[in-house]
Amino acid sequence: MKKNKTMIVCFLLPALVFFILIFLYPICRTILMSFFKIEGVTDAVSKWSFVGLGNFNKLFHTSLFVTSLWNIFRIWFIGGLAVMALALLFAVILTSGIRFKSFFRAAIYMPNVVSAVALATMWLQYVYNPRFGLFKSFFETIHLDKLAAIQWTDNEHKFWALLIAYCFGMVGYHMLIFASGIERISSEYFEAATLDGAGKVKQFLHVTLPLIKGVFKTNITMWSVTSAGFFVWSQLFSTVTADTKTITPMVYMYMQVFGAGNSVTEHNAGMGAAVGIILSLCVVLVFTLCNQLIRDDDLEF
Amino acid sequence: MSRRKSEMRKFNWKHELKLAPGYLILSIWILFTFVLLGWVFAASLSTTKDIFSGNALKFPTGIHFENYIKAWTSQNVSVIFGNSLFYSVVACLALILVCAPAAYVLSRFKFIANRFIQTSFVSAMGVPAVMIVLPLFSLIAGMNILNNVMANRFTLIFLYIGINVPYTTIFLLSFFSNLSSAYEQAAAIDGCSPMKTFWLIMFPMAQPGIITVSIFNFINVWNEYFMSLIFANSDRLRPVAVGLYSMINAMKYTGDWAGMFASVVIVFLPTFILYLFLSERIIAGITGGGLKG
Repeated sequence: MKKNKTMIVCFLLPALVFFILIFLYPICRTILMSFFKIEGVTDAVSKWSFVGLGNFNKLFHTSLFVTSLWNIFRIWFIGGLAVMALALLFAVILTSGIRFKSFFRAAIYMPNVVSAVALATMWLQYVYNPRFGLFKSFFETIHLDKLAAIQWTDNEHKFWALLIAYCFGMVGYHMLIFASGIERISSEYFEAATLDGAGKVKQFLHVTLPLIKGVFKTNITMWSVTSAGFFVWSQLFSTVTADTKTITPMVYMYMQVFGAGNSVTEHNAGMGAAVGIILSLCVVLVFTLCNQLIRDDDLEF
Repeated sequence: MSRRKSEMRKFNWKHELKLAPGYLILSIWILFTFVLLGWVFAASLSTTKDIFSGNALKFPTGIHFENYIKAWTSQNVSVIFGNSLFYSVVACLALILVCAPAAYVLSRFKFIANRFIQTSFVSAMGVPAVMIVLPLFSLIAGMNILNNVMANRFTLIFLYIGINVPYTTIFLLSFFSNLSSAYEQAAAIDGCSPMKTFWLIMFPMAQPGIITVSIFNFINVWNEYFMSLIFANSDRLRPVAVGLYSMINAMKYTGDWAGMFASVVIVFLPTFILYLFLSERIIAGITGGGLKG
């Protein structure tokens, strides 16, 4: 038994050191920082001045930050609806017994393994390009001149361009989660439903959907976690610093703390920390709501 | 299960016709993906002039491999590519050495903090980067090592390892839990110490899980952006994601579009090729492990 103790300590220690240095200590310090006014990120604790909830109060009165929150909410909500709907549709098709299933599945998931910078560049410089872009030439070919004339990367359309490109890459992952959930449902349920005369749509609504409630929870949680970290796409799609069309809280925090600062009046690392707290609280809120609203414990299969 | 069925099924017109809308929807989506990648690849072998006149797919002036040579040599792609390769490989190896023992201990032994550590690691997977980056920056900048190239490289690798420790540990943990403990009992009877048993018997047996999680780690580190943006202090240290971003910004002024697409392809190829060969394994890893909890 004593031998086991040394083994447990030796084997766990490296991972725990990393965890404490990279997660535990920084998280605690970030929480602390959010209650202080801190001129420079590297300032020692003695230079911090306590402001209570002042940073949060100031953030919610900064229109740029409120805009960034509104943007991330729209990305989360509208994008989430679109991605979940498409992912579920694809998952249902994949599990309906089609041929070349593994090929389809692999091809749809593919954008997830590619560098977001490379993918966003492809969209920006090719698909949305006003001179030789895919959308322009495609809509011209089918004579939808109104759609062909859209300047996707101008201020009016930039947000939607960003959202479409981002969602395109995200569908594959959520589709995989849905598909594996549907595959876990025993085929007996579907056979029984078929015998009772239920059509495909009825089977989907009354057998598949209730039985993959737990999978919805996983997907919504994962979607919220990735949305909270929304950064690289926004940075690539903004043409100026502090682009109100595409700014997200992460980008705002980056500008606030590390940025050149022409759009931010004062540097305060405490406010950057407060942004982190607000984002984390949002994720926790969504997670708790999901757990409250979707209970899958009563359904065993 | 259903996969077996669909592969062995005889071709039946009526059945396939019913599935036609499904085939159509998936095909349109995939066609779009292929057009996107195919065009970018074609453009990378074309010239800026041909791209702008809409002839990227026709190659009126032949195929221009020199875009790649130019991007590789003069545009710094070789530097960022080498950096990323080095960071990813070192981080992947270190992650296994750090996480496999921890995962094994957590899966096999009962001790007080076990449950607590597991929950902490699972929660850490959902922590946004904003929550950790400020103290890390003040810690690392405070040590005054960001001007030293070697120290900066080491810092980056340390960060890449750290942010992936919870995921790797949890993934391997579920893998070890599924291995039978009969091997350890046999080894113990033969007088093999638990530590030796791990390295000689259990570690090699966990190879499939270790390979899968290493593929994920490689892709994650290769594509990592936010941490690298903040902590990679000079052009010489940047990994591909950040390097490509600054290159694209520069490209807007030089106007070398073919070269830009060539750089995009170079950055995108390693993970893409990895995926071509290992997609089944990657997909099984997503749907099987790492999602419990």
